[in-house]
Amino acid sequence: MRESYGDKITRIGISILLLLISISCLAPVINILSISFSGKQAVETGKVLLWPIDVTLQSYSALFEGTRVLASLWNGVVMTVGGVLISMVFTICAAYPLSKGYFYGRRTFTLMLLFTMVFTGGLIPTYLVVKSLGLIDSYWSIWMPGAVSTYNMLIMRSYFEGIEPEIEEAARIDGCREMSLLFRIVLPLSMPVIATLVLFYGVGYWNNFMNVLIYINSTEKYTITVLIQQMIASQSLLTESLANDTTALELVPEGIKSAGIIVLILPMVLIYPFLQKYFVKGVMLGSVKG
Amino acid sequence: MKSASKKALFKKNVPLMLMFAPALAYYLIFRYLPIGGLVISFENYNFFDGVFHSPWVGFKNFEMLFSNDKTLRIIWNTLWLSVLNLVVGFPVPIILALMINSVRRSWYKRFVQTVVYLPHFFSWVIVGGMVITLFSMESSFLNHWIEDKYGEPYPFLYKTFSWVTIFVGSGVWKEMGFSTIIYLAALTSISPALYEASALDGASKWKQTWHVTLPGIRGTIILVLILSMGRVLEVGFDQIYNLRNAMVSDISEVISTYIYTLGIQGGQFSLTTALGLFESVVAFILILGANLIAKKFNSNLF
Repeated sequence: MRESYGDKITRIGISILLLLISISCLAPVINILSISFSGKQAVETGKVLLWPIDVTLQSYSALFEGTRVLASLWNGVVMTVGGVLISMVFTICAAYPLSKGYFYGRRTFTLMLLFTMVFTGGLIPTYLVVKSLGLIDSYWSIWMPGAVSTYNMLIMRSYFEGIEPEIEEAARIDGCREMSLLFRIVLPLSMPVIATLVLFYGVGYWNNFMNVLIYINSTEKYTITVLIQQMIASQSLLTESLANDTTALELVPEGIKSAGIIVLILPMVLIYPFLQKYFVKGVMLGSVKG
Repeated sequence: MKSASKKALFKKNVPLMLMFAPALAYYLIFRYLPIGGLVISFENYNFFDGVFHSPWVGFKNFEMLFSNDKTLRIIWNTLWLSVLNLVVGFPVPIILALMINSVRRSWYKRFVQTVVYLPHFFSWVIVGGMVITLFSMESSFLNHWIEDKYGEPYPFLYKTFSWVTIFVGSGVWKEMGFSTIIYLAALTSISPALYEASALDGASKWKQTWHVTLPGIRGTIILVLILSMGRVLEVGFDQIYNLRNAMVSDISEVISTYIYTLGIQGGQFSLTTALGLFESVVAFILILGANLIAKKFNSNLF
């Protein structure tokens, strides 16, 4: 069937609009990237848009030498890796029993977990629990309160439920016990959902801002996300750290901030192909059962 | 025979129970204990007496909240910023999904999807940094251009209207692409036969969108709407914390930032817990209410 003239105009219009939207998503990143590589004068006069002017690495050398960015980068990695491990263990511990029809109290426990999705104790009571457990100022205060995301747990549970019962039966007949069933059959078959949740949790921990701000008091334990936020928020922190730098005159705070933002973005962009593949899958999995 | 199978069932359950124990402990300690801790909103909580022995004050904290101009304004700020977020942020992904779905060339479709999903993975720290870079007075490209043209830069981040626009806009920008995923998934489940039949009957693309596409994803739209109802009266802490500045403080102080400043930093635990309880109860009622309405359309969630 031939498309009408009006439909064709609409289609072209939509394509152009989508191109503009795509540009709006990329342009800010390219702008920041360009600023981070540009010289002082060009940045201060606002000349930098989509490509660097007077290309220089000054901002990056100042960032890595003059600030605590390396240490906080390491902290961010430690918090993310540790958090993902803990979250995955707890999530599997919750999801696997709940996926079994013969598990005692399955319905009650499921309802109990679901209830926490619609009603929470809120920030202060959680803070008081964490405080009374003596976890403040250690990464356990980040890892424990958010160890299981009920939403992620449901995604994993419905994946487990979807595994063919015949495979399990066959394994049982061969003498496979409950735990080896989990480790030898169920988990290897669930690699897609495990990858998805590792990325869900990983991005969550890497981007975590509020909990670090609330629970971590010592600045040397700050993660990169919080450190960069502090740089963006307070000019003084930057000028202070640059004060003993002899080349400080050549530097501009915007350049260093931009370099910081790029360092923060970089891991996301590097794993983006995986993120896109598995996140989309995860959202689909989650939407199947609601 | 029956007791034997019961025994076998129990035997199968033991490892599961052992496995579930840590997860249960987690939920009890970090999810249910805080719910119990909400009781301090009816107390004058202090560290020495603890949750059980602090003096009981009944509804005094709530009376204080709802008779104080400052907290009332904060609740009001939270309400209308979140409603704005919802009203603007809800339709955009649906329209974007319809647009992406209408693209025929699959490479272009994939390109657009890849690019618009990206901002979802940026933390608010990154987005906040971008916003400042784009709209600041001193060195943003935009403001230098405006200065060249009109003589002086425009304080986008310091004027209430432009700040709110930027606040809502950046939230939409960050999440619009990613929120299309669920709609795009629903769109693929609409039978092509419906389009063919309506085309034979002479329906234009617009008519098809209205009479075939939108009804086809109605269930998903209602589902997303129910879920977002729970977020009315909730302005994400990260979003507001990274975008606000002193010049717009009377509009940008919301419940979450107030609880942080007054509770965590100021130690006023009872008052801020009362505020948190109010927020939780409202969210709870809204979710249940939205679900009840959805039941009328047979699209209820639970």
